Amino acid sequence: MHALKIENVYKSFGDTEVLKGINVAIEPGQFLILVGPSGCGKSTLLNIIAGLEAATSGHIYIGEREVTNLSPKDRDIAMVFQSYALYPNMSVRKNISFGLEIRKVPKAEQRETVQRVATMLQIEDLLDRKPSQLSGGQRQRVAMGRALARDPSIFLFDEPLSNLDAKLRVEMRAEMKELHQRIQSTVVYVTHDQIEAMTLGDLIAVMKDGIIQQFGPPQVIYNAPKNMFVAGFLGSPSMNFIPAVVEQTESGLGAFLEGGAGRIFIPLVHCTQALKAWVGKAVVLGIRPEQITHAPEHEGRIQIGVCRINRVELTGPDALVTTCLNKTDVIARVQPSSLCQVGETMALGFDTSMIVAFDPATEEAIV
Amino acid sequence: MPVSHSKTFFKDLASAAALERLLPKLVMAPTFVVTLVFIYGFIFWNAWLSFSSSRMLPRMDWAGFTQYVRLFSNDRWWVAAENLAIFGGLFIVLCMAIGLFLAILLDQQVRLEGAIRTVYLYPMALSFIVTGTAWKWLLNPGLGIEKLVRDLGFENFTFDWLVDPEKAIYTVVIAGVWQSSGFVMALFLAGLRGIDDTIIKAAQVDGASLPSIYWRIVIPSLRPVFFSALIILSHIAIKSFDLVMALTGGGPGYASDVPATFMYAFSFTRGQIGLGAASAMMMLAAVVAIIVPFLYSELRRGRNE
Amino acid sequence: MNKAVGRQHRAGRLFIYGCLLLVAVYYLVPLFVMIMTSLKPLDEIRTGSLLGLPLNPTLEAWRVAWGSACTGVSCEGLKGYFWNSVFMVVPAVVISTMIGAFNGYVLTQWRFRGSDVLFGALLLGCFIPFQVVLLPMARTLGFLGISGSVAGLVFVHVIYGVAFTTLFFRNFYVNIPRELTNAARIDGAGFWLIFFRIVLPLSPPIIVVSVIWQFTQIWNDFLFGVVYSAGNQQPITVALNNLVNTSTGVKQYNVDMAAAIIAALPTLVVYVVSGKYFVRGLTAGSVKG
Repeated sequence: MHALKIENVYKSFGDTEVLKGINVAIEPGQFLILVGPSGCGKSTLLNIIAGLEAATSGHIYIGEREVTNLSPKDRDIAMVFQSYALYPNMSVRKNISFGLEIRKVPKAEQRETVQRVATMLQIEDLLDRKPSQLSGGQRQRVAMGRALARDPSIFLFDEPLSNLDAKLRVEMRAEMKELHQRIQSTVVYVTHDQIEAMTLGDLIAVMKDGIIQQFGPPQVIYNAPKNMFVAGFLGSPSMNFIPAVVEQTESGLGAFLEGGAGRIFIPLVHCTQALKAWVGKAVVLGIRPEQITHAPEHEGRIQIGVCRINRVELTGPDALVTTCLNKTDVIARVQPSSLCQVGETMALGFDTSMIVAFDPATEEAIV
Repeated sequence: MPVSHSKTFFKDLASAAALERLLPKLVMAPTFVVTLVFIYGFIFWNAWLSFSSSRMLPRMDWAGFTQYVRLFSNDRWWVAAENLAIFGGLFIVLCMAIGLFLAILLDQQVRLEGAIRTVYLYPMALSFIVTGTAWKWLLNPGLGIEKLVRDLGFENFTFDWLVDPEKAIYTVVIAGVWQSSGFVMALFLAGLRGIDDTIIKAAQVDGASLPSIYWRIVIPSLRPVFFSALIILSHIAIKSFDLVMALTGGGPGYASDVPATFMYAFSFTRGQIGLGAASAMMMLAAVVAIIVPFLYSELRRGRNE
Repeated sequence: MNKAVGRQHRAGRLFIYGCLLLVAVYYLVPLFVMIMTSLKPLDEIRTGSLLGLPLNPTLEAWRVAWGSACTGVSCEGLKGYFWNSVFMVVPAVVISTMIGAFNGYVLTQWRFRGSDVLFGALLLGCFIPFQVVLLPMARTLGFLGISGSVAGLVFVHVIYGVAFTTLFFRNFYVNIPRELTNAARIDGAGFWLIFFRIVLPLSPPIIVVSVIWQFTQIWNDFLFGVVYSAGNQQPITVALNNLVNTSTGVKQYNVDMAAAIIAALPTLVVYVVSGKYFVRGLTAGSVKG
């Protein structure tokens, strides 16, 4: 049984189609992330799951029930909003128990639930305050508490951390992960933050232009992106895209990268079957910055090349250096200790095991 | 929710959801009907009357432009139109000038600003009938301001505009400005308070003097306020009826008639319903000409929110 | 700051306060004269100065204005008309504010296809010169059997007040985030529950604005009053106008002034008590003439 199944959902506002045939299914206890740039349709999809908006066509199932035509209150869901949407005229306690009260849960049980949730989120001291007296982080907790109190079959989160400052966001992210592992709830979580997507999700659906570009576990999507959009969207700094021509050499398929300081041979070891058809043709090679590092200690499928360094950015744990290969800026992630000056050359090691090749015309991965 | 519910249960839930989607429309329905009938329907009805031969009683026949021809060949209508031009022009210009002047003065960190504002604005709380009655007394040639000044020693002073057919419309201007200029002040003051302080500070750092800051920077940035004040004042002017009725009654004779009093007189006391309807259509046309650009920009602003 | 600049500054302040004071006098004199005149006997008005304080203050004019002055044919003062206005204002204000609140709630939190168009169409109702509906409305009131009565006036004021109250509430509720009502919907609350439990508790400021605005507009109305009411059903503005323009006997200026103040008193009190909201109403819906 699926916890949530979305079947062929289309949505248009007037002439603009914002969702173009969405199909997703998740199992109970899974944490699904809907991620994508703004305007990709992820929030609309979440609202359709919640019943706040009606799909133009398609079906939504929660558990065994089709809920497509049900109003939000009959879908057995809870939702945490970006602005938290706490009722400003009610105390924290009332905010948490409001949904229970409307569902005519007995008073004693309401009290018990509020207490349990407040303990879980460490907001017992705040129960009698009004939302206006809370900090951003506290409001966020209350919003979570309101959802938890309901014990629904699915939790929906609409960018719940985006209004917090950077430090708090990292804290809450860890806390949410832990909470999810503890209560094993089914979650649909919308974000535009790819780090949140990678760290929180069991499954990620990367969306763009109303279409799910790729759906799968985070690591799979990260390592084997289906197209250049997905490849570029996940990871920071994002993947380097280097135009190159596939060549057949004695040591197998590969491509040459021209830098200011020399020529680097990159063997292509994945999908060689498919790539055979591309010999002599232009492709785009996707290499993540962390796959290009300072040279020495590496072994295996490492290709060393000498590159001229045009820019250096220190991030703390490591340094990002920019070089130019095949007339494209390429970012590499190196150890600060091995840095050189701008304008000098440096030996960089290319971990070629993870390189993905893309069709420059369709931007699809060549597999 | 237990899974054992029957199929019909979910069907009921679905129809409840459909009802819930319908509810907002049901709530708006009476307003929709009222708008359709009592605004647009009535405008249409009135237009029809203006094309009929109605006099004492409304008649639903077709008389073409007869009533409009009669209207445009009616001296009294042209007096009313001319008066509206005089009254409207002076009323708008004076209210704006006084309002802006007072707002700028009040914006200079004045002590007792709240109290002063209260005094400037209270006339707006009064009915035009009360205002008219008060000014009618003040402007009364025998006992009002004329007598006051004569008692001060200026024996030959005359101030009898109220009974002078040439001047009566100007008394309406005096009373109208008294009532509405404080309100325009409030509009401009709100606009001044909304201006970004840093712009003025930047200009001060650039070495601009206070008057030139106001003339070159502040007043130009009040453009939207000018615009809405203009709309509101011209709207008040076109609709002004009570003030004229209370102050001059349109007199002496019909010397201070305006379109609104003209419409009232012909429709309800002189039994010329068709002619009254035609004059009302002309008023509507005037208002539409002013309001439509305003509404358009207002709606566009709303959409951008 | 050197002395010259200091002197210039002082002169500037003097100019500002001088101007403000002068204008304040201009605004206050008519009210002052009205009150003084209403307290003077008639012969003192003829002989004394317009601005002079009453030598023998008397409330006689007030008594006459309230209880026995002639308004047209009847001579029973303003008291009956005052109560007409009260009975007209209270239901008209309550009903139009309620409808406006519901409309504003739907137009912001439950928008549907065409709701913006409907709002735009309704907005025009704030702007039309009412002359254009006077004749059809007169027929309609007759048809409904409420012409010439206070009930008819309530009806008219509600109909043409709803555009304004809707505008007020819509512009206020548009600032309530949609997420708030969405959260309540997910919590299981429906249309009315959300209105009464979430939206209404946030509304007191705009309710005050709407009530004050409607109260002053309807109390001060003359056009509908003079056209749609007759005899002892007229509102106070119409009665005041009749009283002042009744040309029988000696002109009693003191009674005129007392009557004018009586007619103005309710709105003046509202203004003094709640000036802040009054100004907000004026600037928010500042289009009704």
